[in-house]
Amino acid sequence: MAGQQPPSEPRKDDAYEPVNSGSGYVAISYLIGGMVVWGGIGWLVDQWLGTKGIAMGIGAVVGGAAGVYLIARRLGA
Amino acid sequence: MTGRTIVLASEVPFPPSVEDFYLPSIVPWGGHDYWFTKITLLLWITVAMLIIFFLVAYRKPKLVPTKRQWLAESIYGFVRNNIAVDMIGKEGVRFAPYLTTLFCFIFVMNLWGIVPMAQISPNSHIAFPIILALISWVMFIYLGFKKHGIGYIKFALVPPAPWFILPILVPIEFFSNFIVRPFSLAIRLFANMFAGHMLLLVFTLGGFAMINANALLTPISILSWLMTIALTFLDFAVIALQAYVFTVLTASYIQGSLAESH
Repeated sequence: MAGQQPPSEPRKDDAYEPVNSGSGYVAISYLIGGMVVWGGIGWLVDQWLGTKGIAMGIGAVVGGAAGVYLIARRLGA
Repeated sequence: MTGRTIVLASEVPFPPSVEDFYLPSIVPWGGHDYWFTKITLLLWITVAMLIIFFLVAYRKPKLVPTKRQWLAESIYGFVRNNIAVDMIGKEGVRFAPYLTTLFCFIFVMNLWGIVPMAQISPNSHIAFPIILALISWVMFIYLGFKKHGIGYIKFALVPPAPWFILPILVPIEFFSNFIVRPFSLAIRLFANMFAGHMLLLVFTLGGFAMINANALLTPISILSWLMTIALTFLDFAVIALQAYVFTVLTASYIQGSLAESH
């Protein structure tokens, strides 16, 4: 019965750096966050200038684009 | 509880409303203005159960574990290896005790939603998820400042990008890192528990409402109650999943605060 070893149970202390599993949630929060933040600021501008949703629309589009850019910057590399 | 069920069977308040989540006081000497409700009782039982279970399980640790010790070690090992170390890395070990406590606490609190006689999860009152989310929020901000000093503000808010885009990006970073995170943690847990309880109420009370309205609807009432049983199993999956998700996200935020620069 030579060579019988206790079952090895790696305790993962020396594991590699983790892949960032939360990045999916991060991506979604950037996308929605971008549109909500800049859409919201656009809405405030609308209230201020008395326009009807033009600034909000522009804000949401710009915010969405900025969100995509942030995802590429923060998560893409 | 049984008395109430019989009352319900005769005159069913259907559809259920948010009022059904505000339970009456259950202090034995009566009175309606006491704060001690079933929710309070379940909270205390949860805390007592967890403390006693882990104390008893680890009182005399053996090399060949007893059944109780094995269970406690499995839970701790699962959170330690599959959440703490997986998400945070080597440093995660020191957060494993907190994450295990968090996981067990949320799991047991959620579980009350499908335990007979209890049948409501304290987490379906948003106060509990809010406090848990606040703890996670304060923790990852504190850890960030501890690790990066005052530079954490720049680390968290300023992405690597040309200077002329930064005015657009910084508000988004602030919003998604410091406002959305605690909100989504709290609301995700609360809404799942609230909706789970509501679904069970709708199908149970709906069965009574139909059988009272017309005896011919009896088969559909029975179908509705069978659905309640099926939904209870679905609810169990949601309960375990939400406890896991809350813990994983907390670990993920901690990892984000501890990370070196991008």
